[in-house]
Amino acid sequence: MKHRLKQWFAERFDLEQLKGPVQKQLHKPLPKNISWAHTLGSMSLFLFVSQVLTGILLLIYYRPTVNEAFESVKFIMTKSYMGWLYRQIHAWGANLMLIVVFLHMLRTFITGSYKKPRELTWVFGVFLFLLTLVFGFTGYLLPWNQLAYWATTVGTEVAGAIPVLGEWIKTFLRGGFNVGGETLSRFFVVHVIILPWVLFFIVLIHLVLVRIQGIATMDPVGSEKETKPGEGTPFFPNHVLKEGVVFFILLGILITLSILTPFDLGEKADPLTTPLAIKPEWYFLPMYQVIKYFPKLVGIFVVGIGPLFLLAWPLLDKSSNRHPLHRPISMTIGILALLSLLILGTMGYFSESKRHFFGKEYDIDIYGIPHLVSSNANRRPSLFEAEKNKAPAVP
Amino acid sequence: MTIRRVGKGCGEKELFLTKAVLIIFWFTATFFSASTPIVLAQSSEASSCVTCHSDIWEEVKESIHGRQNISCHNCHGGDPTAKDKESAKGPNTGYIGIPDKKKIAETCGACHANVEVMNFYGVPTDQLARYKTSTHGKKLFLEANTKVAVCSDCHGYHDVLAITDPNSSVYPLNVPKTCNHCHGSEALMKPYGLPTDIFETYKKSVHGIALFEKKDISAATCVSCHGSHGAVPPGVKEISSACGKCHVNEKKYFLESMHAKPMAAGRFSECISCHGNHGVERASNDLYRTTCIKCHEKGSSEEKAGETIWQVFHQSGEKLKAAESSVKQASIEGIFVEEETGSLEEAKTNVIVMAPLQHSLSVERITELAAKFSEVADKITTQIHQKREALKWRKTALIPIWVFILAMAAALWVKYKRLKTERKKNQPNKTNREGEK
Repeated sequence: MKHRLKQWFAERFDLEQLKGPVQKQLHKPLPKNISWAHTLGSMSLFLFVSQVLTGILLLIYYRPTVNEAFESVKFIMTKSYMGWLYRQIHAWGANLMLIVVFLHMLRTFITGSYKKPRELTWVFGVFLFLLTLVFGFTGYLLPWNQLAYWATTVGTEVAGAIPVLGEWIKTFLRGGFNVGGETLSRFFVVHVIILPWVLFFIVLIHLVLVRIQGIATMDPVGSEKETKPGEGTPFFPNHVLKEGVVFFILLGILITLSILTPFDLGEKADPLTTPLAIKPEWYFLPMYQVIKYFPKLVGIFVVGIGPLFLLAWPLLDKSSNRHPLHRPISMTIGILALLSLLILGTMGYFSESKRHFFGKEYDIDIYGIPHLVSSNANRRPSLFEAEKNKAPAVP
Repeated sequence: MTIRRVGKGCGEKELFLTKAVLIIFWFTATFFSASTPIVLAQSSEASSCVTCHSDIWEEVKESIHGRQNISCHNCHGGDPTAKDKESAKGPNTGYIGIPDKKKIAETCGACHANVEVMNFYGVPTDQLARYKTSTHGKKLFLEANTKVAVCSDCHGYHDVLAITDPNSSVYPLNVPKTCNHCHGSEALMKPYGLPTDIFETYKKSVHGIALFEKKDISAATCVSCHGSHGAVPPGVKEISSACGKCHVNEKKYFLESMHAKPMAAGRFSECISCHGNHGVERASNDLYRTTCIKCHEKGSSEEKAGETIWQVFHQSGEKLKAAESSVKQASIEGIFVEEETGSLEEAKTNVIVMAPLQHSLSVERITELAAKFSEVADKITTQIHQKREALKWRKTALIPIWVFILAMAAALWVKYKRLKTERKKNQPNKTNREGEK
């Protein structure tokens, strides 16, 4: 059967000519420094494929209208066969994808792989990361629950503060003055049609670039030695086996998270009731926290320069060394950026809440600063305190 | 002027409109002038009574009568136009001073029993007639007992307010206290052998709590059962109509019960036999265990029927509680319980329907309804159990999933390690071979 099939194709196509490049790509040797961290790129791709597949399954029942969105997601979670699993894998997959893409970018940064000649691969990679964030933002609204509705209201409001074009962008995103049916429609189209295709083509370019230029070695720029056939590690089967190990573990984590810590659907969106202390998803928390410390315009500027720095990084860091220990300035900037993301994210997470640390109760204000709650005083809620602090001093 | 202009050649339409306006004006003017009460003719401000009795006028001014310009002489007689005290209270002025109780009823009735006067205000005019049929009225008019309550004892005299005014002594919230002025007085009640603790008993009753604590003015007060102007203690037969005014379904089912016959014969005082009267408490199932045996012997079939009904209600109550807590707990755990919450409402409706139905005392009908409820309650519990089991199953499924994943990962890793070792072994050979070449 196999032989006959081969024969059938051989009569129609020049298989030998096709076989060459495929074999070349399959057995292309990867440099010796290839590590477990080098599987993160493939894992990002795996998660993207998983998102597409589960997304298609969800689309069978999902209805992108104000009246039906919430009910259809509820239907998926309660009535449709294994629908709960697809929705949970899609939701958790989105979160894991952000983590994996970020870690992949971090690995590239640490190993200095973004340097010449791979600057464009990095730039497309940053676009992929940003698109993943937009994926998260647009997908978050689709279940049309309270958190989604208000997070989107706040998120689009931030866009409205951009000078000159802000109001136009806000209306463009919302499809009207408020978040409503029009917003749901356009977020849906962006999430299921536009973004997947844009991402697909950028992934394609990113992969083609990786295959053409090969995996970066740790040699300084200009003195990279090409890995000759027979040297290094072959892509197939050695590296693919490694990817297989990570793939199975990631799949296990994805399923476990989906079962043990499922995402709640919450309450249906109600434009008339604003829930207390609305917070964006964890991946937007650092940005959300930064905006609080600055006046609206400055905040947006500060948040906006982050991605610009990322995009322009290969142009800013032109040193030839790739080894992290030989790039003290770059690594310090990287570590500081990472720490600030972690700290700001944590502060954003804890802000506007009451928490117990070491047996004492703390009231954490809007800026993420903890205040010890005295035992006998009836303290006002942190939100009001923050409003008081915010009020300009009387001259 | 208008007519002249019309005559000078204005359109027919304008003429018609002018006529219509004039006719409407004429009708409105005559209607109000004819129906305006006669008492309005005398302005209270012009009354000379106020010159000396200005303190009393202060009270009257804010009353419902004062606001309608009903002045002193309308009740007390006298000449309000006279300039001095003597001529104002002179022999031909009809001055009566402070009216006695009988006179009070008649004086109030002079207006309040007069359809022509009261029609303007839309107030009924049967109060005096009703009063004369009441125990109070009979004692006053037939026995000349002046200790009984008359209009002014409940409504006040100079400061009478509308019954809808929360400050009025006969506003629903104030009625029990107003009645208690006399019915709480031992000195006044002793000659009639009436109890004086009714107010205290009522305060603790389900009606009293609703009225005083929840400020529910629709709750039954003294007048709801005893009537107001025609106040009489309801007899055995009237109790059903008294309680049944609000408890319509209970009354309906009671009349279908075996107790309806003795009640009609005056041998059984329906509602109060089981529930009591002034101190009526929130009805509990235990009434079946405490009140049936008041008339029926222990061990009798009636007592057993009561016990059966108790059992049915007890089991239904327990089942409802279990279903409610099951739904609540499941929703806390994050299980979708929308369907079950809907079913719970259905179950509760059955229990609500059971409450009045029990007055039929038909074991068959009650059991039938309880079975319907039980079916819904069981469905709720089963569904939630199944959902919880499904969640447990998901968690259990993680074990084989991880076994498979770890096996696959291990197999791939072993293969990878083997390939790596082989490669290391082959590497020097390959270099040697290349050297040989």
